[in-house]
Amino acid sequence: MATREKVGVSTEVRPKLREETPSPKERGKRRSGQFLADRAATVVIWAFALLALALVALVLGVILWNGLSTALTPSFVFGKPQAMREGGGIWPMVVSSFYLAALTLLLVIPLGVGAAIYMSEFAGEGRVARLVRFGADSLSAVPSVVFGIFGMVVFVIYLGLGYSLLAGALTLTLLNLPTVMRSAEEAVKSVPKSYREAALAMGCTRWETVKKVVLPVAMPGITTGAILSAGRIVGESAAVIYTVGLFVRKVPWSPFQPAAPMAANIWHMYTEGALVPDWFRVASGEAAFLLIVVLVLNLLARLAASVVRRKTGYRT
Amino acid sequence: MTVAEVRARTAESRSQHEVVDTGGIGRSSSLKELEMVHNQAAVDGEAKFRLGSMSLYYGERKILEDITMDIPERKITAIIGPSGCGKSSFLRCLNRMNDLVEGCRVEGEVLLDGEDVYRRECDVTALRQKVGMVFQKPNPFPKTVYENVAFGPRILGIKERAQLDEIVESSLKKAALWEEVRDKLKEPALALSGGQQQRLCIARVLAVEPEVILLDEPCSALDPIATQRIEDLLSELREKYTIVIVTHNMQQAARISDYTAFFLIGCQGDPGRLVEFGETGTIFTAPADERTERYITGRFG
Repeated sequence: MATREKVGVSTEVRPKLREETPSPKERGKRRSGQFLADRAATVVIWAFALLALALVALVLGVILWNGLSTALTPSFVFGKPQAMREGGGIWPMVVSSFYLAALTLLLVIPLGVGAAIYMSEFAGEGRVARLVRFGADSLSAVPSVVFGIFGMVVFVIYLGLGYSLLAGALTLTLLNLPTVMRSAEEAVKSVPKSYREAALAMGCTRWETVKKVVLPVAMPGITTGAILSAGRIVGESAAVIYTVGLFVRKVPWSPFQPAAPMAANIWHMYTEGALVPDWFRVASGEAAFLLIVVLVLNLLARLAASVVRRKTGYRT
Repeated sequence: MTVAEVRARTAESRSQHEVVDTGGIGRSSSLKELEMVHNQAAVDGEAKFRLGSMSLYYGERKILEDITMDIPERKITAIIGPSGCGKSSFLRCLNRMNDLVEGCRVEGEVLLDGEDVYRRECDVTALRQKVGMVFQKPNPFPKTVYENVAFGPRILGIKERAQLDEIVESSLKKAALWEEVRDKLKEPALALSGGQQQRLCIARVLAVEPEVILLDEPCSALDPIATQRIEDLLSELREKYTIVIVTHNMQQAARISDYTAFFLIGCQGDPGRLVEFGETGTIFTAPADERTERYITGRFG
């Protein structure tokens, strides 16, 4: 009975298919046409992917080759910079970059994560939250040079901080706040509701729930976002040129001192490098070192996330 | 129905409770509109929860209407009924987890040990420690097995390692999980099997020494063997805890519960109502309400 029914069904369906593609010959044609198009599309997509990869490799390769072949040695990285003479190092710039990044993260992480927690745990979908989100999205579309000029006007001049690490950190905080906030918000939002319910049902207050459950679970995401923005801070030039400084001889130690983050110093070398005879060598070495720092930071971000994931067994 | 009317009615029902308290629990016939029927509605011993004309609203929508029942102490009470009849919502009224739903409102009385849990000065966190909850899907925290059980005690401010160790061990033993995880205390809880995770969630609740445990279809995501384990565990726990379990599985209700409440909605969009409440044996063998009979014999729902 059952088999006959099945046969009945299949004979009913087959003529319909024939109707759609009248002759077998035409069907073959269409099929080969589709096949060709499919093949061509695959090839084109592959070509684009390879091209993108090649471009990235080219940029990385040139920068690294230039730097590694001429300058990048321990004595260069840890050396004192020189003016009017060859053979200077970049140690004060390296310290400036890390100092600036640390200072900025110190400001932007509490602010960004705090805002993110407020937005996702307490604000709901109210008007305030929407306004903050809209503001953040708009801010992230503003070019960094605008932040630089804003920072110069407000922090350097108006607040009288002068060219200093603090002025730069404040400016970079504004620049990075939207991304840190949004990435932290995504991380906090991706924490399953069931964890929150479990914590609340255990008698946790809302704040305890956030502190003991939501934040720890969101930590890999927040950390990744923070490290990625550390990479952006280290690589940012426009905003720091106007707020921190371009060249220093001594390692800065106070946040109120001027400094010269690597990215700003590279720009300075290329545009006003005449004071340093081997400016091309210094700039190339510095660029290569900066690139390596950013790559390491990005790798760290991935590593941090996967370590936490392994520890907790939690996957997003 | 206005709030004042509800108050008046609940006051009335309370006075009846008082009269009845001495000799088991009779049910107020004067609460007309009350569709539920009590089969010799005698609940042995004390009532842990006492609900008087409780209604639940989510915004404008009425989810539950006029629920009046006593949940006996140190017994297992099963809540059965078709999907969408408000069983889970009912459960969440008991520890105020419904507070998380925007626009949620409860009318009538929900008394726990004689005190209204919806009174203004009620400490919700203390309430939830007293009335623990286990959810449909096992939801251990993404922490170690140990940290999951120690979570509650830590919130309560217990910091001493030795004391925590002791609580973790005894809670896991009570949840019949100790033997299986004693060597895995430092491993992620999410690496355990589904059934183990659910027992871990029970251990986590037991660690804060609750008096009531609410379970919202705790076995629906588990296989029959894991279900069996949980059922055995609940039977053991009944001696010390008041247990309320929502279940889709009528055999389960029949197997483990002492009392059964049957919830039903008239038609889509209507609020859920308590149709019948009584001893499990009676409900399953001689239900007073025709709808209960039709439901338990599998003719609808």
